[in-house]
Amino acid sequence: MNRLFSISVQQSLRQIPALIALAVIIALGVNHWRSDGIPLVGDWSMEARFSDAAGESLIIELAQARRLFEEDGGVLFVDARPQSEYAQEHISGALSLPWQDADRYLAETAGRLESRKTIVAYCDGEDCDLSHELALFLKDMGFENVRVLVNGLTVWREAGLPIETGN
Amino acid sequence: MTSYACCPTDISRTPSRVFIVLRLFLGAVFIYASYDKILHPQAFAQAVYNYRILPDALVNLTALVLPWLELILGLCLAAGFWLPGATMISTGLLMIFIGSLAFNRMRGLDISCGCFATQNVEGPADLWTVVRDLIFLAVSIYLTLVVFFFRSGQKQGGNCP
Repeated sequence: MNRLFSISVQQSLRQIPALIALAVIIALGVNHWRSDGIPLVGDWSMEARFSDAAGESLIIELAQARRLFEEDGGVLFVDARPQSEYAQEHISGALSLPWQDADRYLAETAGRLESRKTIVAYCDGEDCDLSHELALFLKDMGFENVRVLVNGLTVWREAGLPIETGN
Repeated sequence: MTSYACCPTDISRTPSRVFIVLRLFLGAVFIYASYDKILHPQAFAQAVYNYRILPDALVNLTALVLPWLELILGLCLAAGFWLPGATMISTGLLMIFIGSLAFNRMRGLDISCGCFATQNVEGPADLWTVVRDLIFLAVSIYLTLVVFFFRSGQKQGGNCP
């Protein structure tokens, strides 16, 4: 048994690097030749993560979002999180548009969205991508001025701006 | 003459049925797991990024190589080829997967943001994922132990020492 073990260890010491090397070679080769390959080092900065199909950043700064909120009625906040989280807490006057059911909710709320100049999608947490997905979806649906307030609920609350609960 | 006639380690018993079934099972799991990730590298890179464990510069490279490693591993396990290396990598990968899942659960990464799943984000899906991976890990450890301590008659690919 000891002999088998030491032979197996020797074999695995050769095989592990060989298998990994094979995977690297195939992965890089296939990625190079396929049409939808990705860069080997991606741009994961916030600007790049929250951009539209054309590469334009969708991010709106809190100060600007606040100004739109306070100065004119031309802005509508849309909450991309599930309905249950919207009910717990959301930006005052925001509309619930859970990304999971965006199709269904959009049919009910399209009228309200169309009457606004700017739509600001938000969710919660810097890593939350729902607001970005929702913004891209709304752009696809033909809404032009759609922005994302990154980590929206938290930065809004921390700035002491109005929050609501319930539906 | 079969290839194992030259291998002093491979002359004892035929592998047990349990071993073969579990080896095929784990191989199939890895092949199945690799398929969607190979087809959609950008989406998988996003998933790797969402774990927030790797530095940004390593996200895409990991997202590219990992699925192919899974596919190659799956094929090795299914075919009974290079089992010492394949079972070691399989056990190591599953430990890393479970560690990453558990780490993100413990630090309370916002699961409800849909970071892990794009369809059904509410409910205990992520706990089930850890349990499922633990079952795969148990299978992988069993296979590793058999290969390292009780191995018998599997193919050596003609590379006998």
